[in-house]
Amino acid sequence: MRELLSVLVTLFIFPGVAFLVACALLFEWIDRRTIARLQARVGPPWFQPLADLVKLLSKESILPRQADRPICTALPVVSLAAVLTAALYIPVGGRVVYGFEGDLIVVLFLLSLPALFYFLAGWVSVGIYSIIGGSRSVLQYFSYEVPFLMALSAPAILTGSWSISDIITQQAESAWIVLAQPVGFLLAIVGLIGKLKRVPFDIPKAKSEVVGGPLTEFSGRKLALWRLVVDIQTVAGIFLLVNMFLGGGDLTLLQGSAPLGLARAVTFSIKALGMLLTLSVTSVLYARLRIDQLANLGWRILAPLGLLQLAATILMGIG
Amino acid sequence: MTRVTIPVGPQHPLLKEPLSLRLIAEGERVVEATMRLGYVHRGIERLAEERSYVQNLHLLERVCGICSHVHTTTYCQGVEALLDLEVPPRGLMLRTLLCELERIHSHLLWLGVLAENIGFSTVFMYAWRDREIVLDIMENLSGGRIAHAVNVIGGVRIDLDSDQIDAIRRSLDELHGQVDDLVNVVEHEQTLKARTQGVGGASLEQIRRHCAVGPVARAAGLDRDLRRDAPYAAYDRLSFEVVTESGGDVWSATRVRVRETVESLSLCQQILDDLPPGEVAVRASRRVPEGQVVARAEAPRGEVIYYIRSDGSDSPARIKIRTPTLPALSMVRERLRDINIADVPAVISGIDLCVACADR
Repeated sequence: MRELLSVLVTLFIFPGVAFLVACALLFEWIDRRTIARLQARVGPPWFQPLADLVKLLSKESILPRQADRPICTALPVVSLAAVLTAALYIPVGGRVVYGFEGDLIVVLFLLSLPALFYFLAGWVSVGIYSIIGGSRSVLQYFSYEVPFLMALSAPAILTGSWSISDIITQQAESAWIVLAQPVGFLLAIVGLIGKLKRVPFDIPKAKSEVVGGPLTEFSGRKLALWRLVVDIQTVAGIFLLVNMFLGGGDLTLLQGSAPLGLARAVTFSIKALGMLLTLSVTSVLYARLRIDQLANLGWRILAPLGLLQLAATILMGIG
Repeated sequence: MTRVTIPVGPQHPLLKEPLSLRLIAEGERVVEATMRLGYVHRGIERLAEERSYVQNLHLLERVCGICSHVHTTTYCQGVEALLDLEVPPRGLMLRTLLCELERIHSHLLWLGVLAENIGFSTVFMYAWRDREIVLDIMENLSGGRIAHAVNVIGGVRIDLDSDQIDAIRRSLDELHGQVDDLVNVVEHEQTLKARTQGVGGASLEQIRRHCAVGPVARAAGLDRDLRRDAPYAAYDRLSFEVVTESGGDVWSATRVRVRETVESLSLCQQILDDLPPGEVAVRASRRVPEGQVVARAEAPRGEVIYYIRSDGSDSPARIKIRTPTLPALSMVRERLRDINIADVPAVISGIDLCVACADR
């Protein structure tokens, strides 16, 4: 009975669903507030993301007559399930719901599922803006996902393990992977920005071109869930990068004793917040790129850099 | 490849005013564009015939929500020419001051709109924050932020004391620093360049064929500015440079406008330094002698022309307004052809359409 209770708590409270949703809303607020301050605005109060969510959840959901209603309803739910499941395999300050050898691959797969569903959402909701936005999101997917995957497999190759927890342990024993793979870390950040469709890669939902992109026709509950998907994806992506490159809850840059308990949680939080601020600052600095400019960036610069990083890692492994 | 029609407007996040564009696209390329106009037609020219010359000041200020002052300036110039009135120098200077403040306000607003449309919200926020300073100055001067009601036939209805001049000067200094920052961003920011350089280029031949005016024409190298070529108000007493570029693309238009903003700031300083003493207006009779006149002025978007015909009564027989957006609109289709969908916002913003002006 006690065991069941403990499983339920990990799954639904910490570091499970409740914690993730709370983090998602908090991160959204910090992000919006930071961007607002940098743009000489005031920004929303702390409860705004929650209020937005509740408001959207309670609103009427309208779809065009020709849209495929069951699929449109299912897509945000399935996407939410995918990102929540992905987040369960990502350790938070040393605590993880479930981990096994190879969970990194599962996480990467689950985190890229929403991109596919996002495209489908545009396709089945039939609006012209939705369809253009959807096809853009696929083009964008191929530009950022390849460097992102290469960047995230490099730490696994370096440590010789495809388990996120193992990679963290090995970093605590040697050094943070960002020291060995700074380029890979940068690629992972760029890839994450592309994944989250943040400025300057907000091409599929560029409002002056395609209004709301694939989500133009979505409203009410469905839109609320889509927004939650992006928020949780942000949290999962940031946690993943902190674990893979910044040593998770590890306090010291180089070899040292891994801190326990509270210290570990605090270190992890600080790193995650640092990553979030990096994302926020990046998004105020640039104008949106065009899709062909992004493809150029992805295939001419990021992908070759990713290959170089991989090659260097493999050579280091041999040497 | 299948062709799709993308409706842009009359309601669309790209457009700040109602205008209906139909883009016919193949993939990410626009192959053809059509346009429908007239969503904000208010029949102003007809209304003007029913109102007296004095009432028309109020009406014509509302042709445009951005360049409101230049419309009444042009109208007053026309009516004053018919009446053979000599406006006192101080009145002319104050009129010019408002014209230049309005240009700064219009160009900053435009920069914000462009930035927002190419997804650069930071520049949008900064440009519009800085624009507030100009709006505050105008409010301080006249009591109105957008519609100032400064012009009267025969001069202006406002005057400045030395405290106000000092206050305006301080605000302008503050604004100057911030505009310099914006110029810096426009000149050096890589993503902004990537989105505007070589986009929506118009050749000098195209500009001439469509009779385009203002910053759009100057960006393509057409060195024409009424303030210098046919000085009105107090421009013959002020020194300034007419900014031209040669590219014709959105990037050149952006540079022209930000540098014009700097020029306008210097013009405002000159006016405040050199404000002649005396009256600001002379009395004008209500009835205007029979005759016709064409008045011109350089609005922020280019040359605005008023044709006024009087039949000797106290209201005009005909007023015809030709705004700078009209020739710009005739270019829109041509400039939208064979470009990327993602460039449409940049091209449309680059032209700086004022739909309300064109529809009247």
